[in-house]
Amino acid sequence: MIQIAGILLMMLGLYGILTNRNIIKIIVSLNILEIGLNIFIISIGFVRAGEAPLFSSEAKSNALVFVDPLPQALVLTAIVIGVGTTALGLAFAKQIYAKYQTFELDEMGEE
Amino acid sequence: MNIALLVAVPLGLAFASILHKKLAPVLLLIGSLFVLVGLSFTEYGETVIGGFDAPYGIHLLLDHYRLIGLYIVNILFFVVIIMNIKTYQKMATVLLVSLAGLNGLMMTGDLFNLFVFLEITGISAYIITSTNKHPLASFQYLVAGTLGSSLYLFGLILLYAMFGSLNLADLASQITLLEDKTLVLLPFLLMFLGFGVEVKLLPLNSWVKGILSSANTLSGPMIASVYAAAMSLVFGRILHDLFIFEGRFQILVSVILLVSILAGEAMAYQTRKVKEILLYSSIAQAGLVVLLFVSGLATWALFLVMANAISKMILFMVIAEATKNQDDELDSLRGLFAKNKVIGLGFTIASLSVIGLPAFMGFVVKMHALEFLFAEQLYLSILAILLASVVEGIYFVRMLLELWAPSEYRFTFPVKMQYILLVLALILVFFGLTIEPLQALIEGIESTLQGGILWQV
Repeated sequence: MIQIAGILLMMLGLYGILTNRNIIKIIVSLNILEIGLNIFIISIGFVRAGEAPLFSSEAKSNALVFVDPLPQALVLTAIVIGVGTTALGLAFAKQIYAKYQTFELDEMGEE
Repeated sequence: MNIALLVAVPLGLAFASILHKKLAPVLLLIGSLFVLVGLSFTEYGETVIGGFDAPYGIHLLLDHYRLIGLYIVNILFFVVIIMNIKTYQKMATVLLVSLAGLNGLMMTGDLFNLFVFLEITGISAYIITSTNKHPLASFQYLVAGTLGSSLYLFGLILLYAMFGSLNLADLASQITLLEDKTLVLLPFLLMFLGFGVEVKLLPLNSWVKGILSSANTLSGPMIASVYAAAMSLVFGRILHDLFIFEGRFQILVSVILLVSILAGEAMAYQTRKVKEILLYSSIAQAGLVVLLFVSGLATWALFLVMANAISKMILFMVIAEATKNQDDELDSLRGLFAKNKVIGLGFTIASLSVIGLPAFMGFVVKMHALEFLFAEQLYLSILAILLASVVEGIYFVRMLLELWAPSEYRFTFPVKMQYILLVLALILVFFGLTIEPLQALIEGIESTLQGGILWQV
């Protein structure tokens, strides 16, 4: 179920990127796509009735079934990268606004 | 020397360059030189990062294929920075990050680690293109690049869900054992589309026009030559190692690539703007490189990448310099080489090598590729390559005739640039006349490309 939600969000983001003509909306769509993807990645590691994958000298666990921790680590990295890309995208948006005085692609007079 | 230093040192210097902004260009030169010198002290093998052995942990690998790739990328990177270091001092930190990213990209043996390096190089590429003063094009590049890497990430996570591994060699051996190869079709398509953005393949290459048609002496050679070489080599490696192309699968991918090649050539033919001619030509060349990888001709694809990277470096550097203060219409550049014979000679050699005329490296590569495709009975690909070469011949010769036409056009190139580019052009001639050095390399490369466990040297 959660996988379908992830893929739906990705599709929504993709649709947004392809149809929106506003710079900020495109950045938002890109973020929706990334969130959908992150949810999908997390869902890959999900194990029903699985324990949190914590195991140290203080927190000893006898659980036999753990949730896969690797996708969580991957998502953590992907989120950081996503933040970086969004920040850069917004910086470009600022430059674009300074140059054209608008965020609308159709009003910039060029492709 | 530990190969992790090829990534760690440029990255460390990038941090240092933020603290000492005035020293940044010097640190960039030091970093690039360190990597170049360090390459000759490296040994084939793997370096485990974080103490977990493969396939569980991340590891960096070095073999013949990767070492040649690293040499190509790092030498060209060095050439780009020594020509631009004075003009674009502010870019030093970004360039150091991109150097670390490119080296990591070439060496990593882990698919997720590759994604991280892809994003590092991607983000630095977007910032490098911001020197074009064309923020809209840079933004479109960012959107396309992020979309591409998201698709790649989606593909790799599907592979992880299927095989429980992210290690390239481990996955390769598991996919080889797979009975129903169509199971990897979806991850393959996603990764193909994702990398297609960076390698400039159809249908996700719309960013190329905005970026390269306004390129300067830093962004043009960097994106069209250094980045294109690194991305093609990494993409080729994944294609060659992970996926097996047979039957309808091969036809499908080949048709996409052939359309990419022919469309690129057709668009280059119809334009009169020099930068557009070059950028559409590089789209076509990128398609050709991937086609060779898909057809199973990794060695010659590697050499084609090398020939293209050197040629595009010369072509984009010359045109970006000449169009610094004017437009890039062929008519306004008429007679550019009349007074600049040295640079004209380098440019001509690079163009003729791209077309694939005898005595240049491009010819040797195309000839061997055609021989191989003929033996494999891939007649459609042969026809497309020959047709593309003819079209290429027409528009490049047309361009050269205009640029060499006698006129009063006055423009002088920096002396440093003239001789560096001529040396690069002579490399194309050297490899075009003597095939022995390439053949010596082939055996080494092929020994590391065969079999399921691809990183064993």
